[in-house]
Formats: sequence, C-alpha cells, structure tokens
Amino acid sequence: MKNWLPTLGRRLLWLASVTILGGFLSATLVRYSPGYGTDERELDFRLNQSSVEAIRNGHSHEGSLVGFYGKYLFAAAHGDFGISESLQQPISGLIKERLPVTLRSVLLGMFVAWSAAFALAVSSLFSRGWIFGLPGTLLSGFLLALPSAVVALFSVYLRAPVFVAIAAVTFPRLFRYTRNLLKDALAQPHVLAARARGIGRTRIFLRHVFPPAAPGLVALLGISVSIAFGSAVPIEALCDSAGIGQLAWSAAMNRDMPLIMSLTLVVTVITIISNSLAADAASLFKRAA
Amino acid sequence: MRKTVQIVAVSILCCLATLALCAGWVTPYSYSHQFRELPNAAPSANHLLGTDSLGRDLLSRILYGTRVSLFLAPLAALMTTIIAGALGVTAGLLGGWYERIILSLADLSMALPLVFVLIALRAMLPLDVAPAVSVAVTFLLLGLLGWPSSLRVVWAAARNIRESDYLLLARSHGTGFGRIMFRHVFPNLRPILLAQFWISIPFFVLTETTLSMLGLGVMEPMPSWGNLLRGLENVSAVGANPWKFTPLVLLILVVICFQAILPSQEEST
Repeated sequence: MKNWLPTLGRRLLWLASVTILGGFLSATLVRYSPGYGTDERELDFRLNQSSVEAIRNGHSHEGSLVGFYGKYLFAAAHGDFGISESLQQPISGLIKERLPVTLRSVLLGMFVAWSAAFALAVSSLFSRGWIFGLPGTLLSGFLLALPSAVVALFSVYLRAPVFVAIAAVTFPRLFRYTRNLLKDALAQPHVLAARARGIGRTRIFLRHVFPPAAPGLVALLGISVSIAFGSAVPIEALCDSAGIGQLAWSAAMNRDMPLIMSLTLVVTVITIISNSLAADAASLFKRAA
Repeated sequence: MRKTVQIVAVSILCCLATLALCAGWVTPYSYSHQFRELPNAAPSANHLLGTDSLGRDLLSRILYGTRVSLFLAPLAALMTTIIAGALGVTAGLLGGWYERIILSLADLSMALPLVFVLIALRAMLPLDVAPAVSVAVTFLLLGLLGWPSSLRVVWAAARNIRESDYLLLARSHGTGFGRIMFRHVFPNLRPILLAQFWISIPFFVLTETTLSMLGLGVMEPMPSWGNLLRGLENVSAVGANPWKFTPLVLLILVVICFQAILPSQEEST
C-alpha cells in the first residue's frame, strides 16, 4: 500500500501536467491560427456598424494567450467547454451526447479485434501446417494495406456496424504483435523442455507461454485504445455515425476551433488514462512473472 | 524466397515510379483537363481507364497522383527519420534531463492518435489553400509529427551504444565527439534508421490517403491516391464502373510492396 501512493501520485501529476501542456499547445495553435477572432456574422450586410463592433467586442476578452487559456481551463474544470461556433450548442453537451457512441464503438471494436487477433495468433502458433497461419498473415497483410477511410467505405457498402470497421483497422496490428510476443515466449528453452516431457499444449500455453507474454500484451492494450480512437475519426465521418470522431471531422471542416480544442483535450485524457493503466498493469504482470 | 519477394517488390515500385515520372509522355492529357461530354466514361482507346465523374482522364490522374503520393511520402519519411534520429541519439547518448524531456515529449505526442492531431492541425490552417500548398502542408505535417514511434526505437539503440564497451574504449582514448558520432554511433544506428525510414513510407501513404479522403489533405484538382479514392464514396457509380477501383488496387499493391521490402527484424538489428 505504501508503494502504491507515491506511484498513484506520480501518475496523477503526470496526467495533470500532460493535460495542461497538451491543452496549452492546442490553445496556442488555435489562438495563432489564421482567421482566429474573425466572425462570419461581421460579413452580414444587414448589420450596422454598432452591431459589428458588438460582435468584435465579444472576442476582445480572448486577447492574450495566457488569459485566453486560463479562462478556458478554469471553465473546463467546471464542465464548461464553451459554445461550438459551427453548431451553436454547448460543447460539454455535445461531448456528453457523442462520447458514449464512440466509446461503445471503440470498446466493441477492440473486443472483436482482440478476440480475433488472439485466437488466430494462438491457433497459428499451436496448429501444425499453414491452415491458421497463412490466412491470418494474408488477412492482416491485406488489412494493413488499407487506409482506415477505405475500410469505412467498405463497411458502408456491406452495411456493417461501425465497430466492425474499427475492429478491421485495429486487428492486423494486434495480430502481428500478439503473434510475435507469443512466438518469442514459445521459443524459450523451458518451453522446449516442457514439450519434451510431454506436457499438454493447453498447460504449456497457460503456464509457460502466456505469463511471460502478458506484460507486452497488456501494454499493447493501451496502445490499441489510441489506434481505435484514431481510426474512429475517418470511420465515423464516412459511416455517418454520430460520435466524437464525426464531430471532430465536422469541426475541422468548419474550422470550429473551440470544439476542436475541447475534443483534443478529451481524447488526450482518455488515451493517457488508458495508457497509464495499461503500463501499471503491465508492470504488475512483470513483477508477478 | 524472401530475397525474391524483395526483388519483385522493388521492381514493381521502380516500374510505377518510372511511369509516374514519365506521366507526361505516357498519357497525352493533363490531370485537370475535363472532357465534359464524357463523365464516368468506360475504358476506351482514348481513355484507357475511363474518366471520372467530372470527365477527367483517370489514367492521367492516377499517374500524376502516384507522383504526388509515391515521391512525397519518402520525403516525409526522411524528415521523420532525421528528427527521430537527432532526438533519439541526443536522448540515448546524453541521458539525464535531456532523456527525460525528450521521452516525455514523445509520450505526449504518442498519447494522441496521429490522425486526430493531423485533422486538428490541418483545420487550424486555411482550408482553401492552393493545391500545391495543400500537398506541401499535408506531407510537412506528416513529416513533422510522425517521429515519436521511431524515436523510441532509435533511443533504445543509442542507449545500448552508450553502454557499449567500444564506446567506453573510444572515450577513454580521448576520441573527439565528432569522430565518436560518425565512426561509432551512426554506423551502428544506420540499419535501425533505415528500417524506420522504410516503415514510415507506407504509413504516410495510408495517412495521406485517409486525410485526403476526408477532404483535409491534398486539394482538388491536384490528384493524389486519397483524392482519387474519394470517387469510391459513390456506391452506385462504383458498382457500375468497377475500373474505378484501380487507384485502390494500386495503393494496396504499393503498400504491400513497401511491406515486403522492409528489412526483417534480424536484418535491422
């Protein structure tokens, strides 16, 4: 317990500092991006000079970068991410509405991808001949050669759910890495000795192959969250799924900077938390092994 | 067997690169010339792969698009490898605070999905830029942001070199910094840097394709594989004109060729 507190403290400190730094970087980019502070309503010929001035004054509080970011962070800490410029809705409401859709797709996609990758990797290593190895290699090679946007288009053609497309993008990377990790563990001399003694395959896998490969697999779990979230952007945009991936794409197309900044912050926090948890779990497995 | 596959892959890539370079001679049409009376035309003697929905010759667009994707992705990969190499060597050899800061920066960069960052950054730049500028911006962003995963590999190798006996011996003999770098460090890192360079190329080709398909990469009328694949969004048109899959087939072939010529794990270490 004593060792856990400093580790947890360090993790939280790392999470907070990375979030603040990441947010500050995105705020800097937003603040100095071309066209910042201009409002298309200023071009409305029906408005008189005083209305245009009022619109310009509405942006005047965003003058200095530190002030702009400070206010943004203070409001975000209270759950207020501001208003989306393109959708004219509170960003926190949009995130609350869209995040569960993406999380469900990502989690289901990861589950399918992990199950398929693990099952194929284990089968290809333990089965004799090429019956599982070759299809797995060919399928992963083919899927690796497809951009995630094309996978999304195929899922539209086939009327497949979004999570299937996310699984198709995540699977090849997981399959190759899982197979390599298990292959390395299988090549250890003690596994050869166990085989020579006639120990069953299941027992060899559970006692001698899986434990040494587990830390690597758990670390891969953290990375797969990042891969799945990355693929969610084009997939949701092209499959017209109302998640944060589609929201990010529409924000990018409409140059909705406050929305992009908030989504960047949210995705940063999610991926950092999942990576930290995976790293901790991996080190636990390593110690146990 | 592996050698044969590599030779075949290199031959295919060389053929495609030559065709792309000689696009002006291979096809008589410009990539932006419209035959307004021939939208979505089937392959014919005049248009070997037919035309797109705007009546532009598909073969010309594919060849010029190959030029953009096939030559700029290696440039972006080179940029990434140089950045990863410089930062990885600094972190691995100097250690201490340099190492911590550089690795933290890499962790921060890797925490966010690259496509997400690229979309956010691309959106912060004007969307209505000239096509040539959009090409430069897209590949520059790829080159500048793709380094973190390569950095980890280079850093690990550089750290091993730092702890090696030959470097200790060189230092104890009073060998200068420049000589250590160019006689001991870079020759040992060369296979790893080369592997990272080759790995990055197909990755950047695919990322550019995704960005362009989302309308945030290379802008029309400049062709790239991503732009060309946007034609697949119209399901009914593609069903009736299966030759519109040609850019996709080409893309898959090129990526598989790059994967085939990647040095194996043993060769790169």
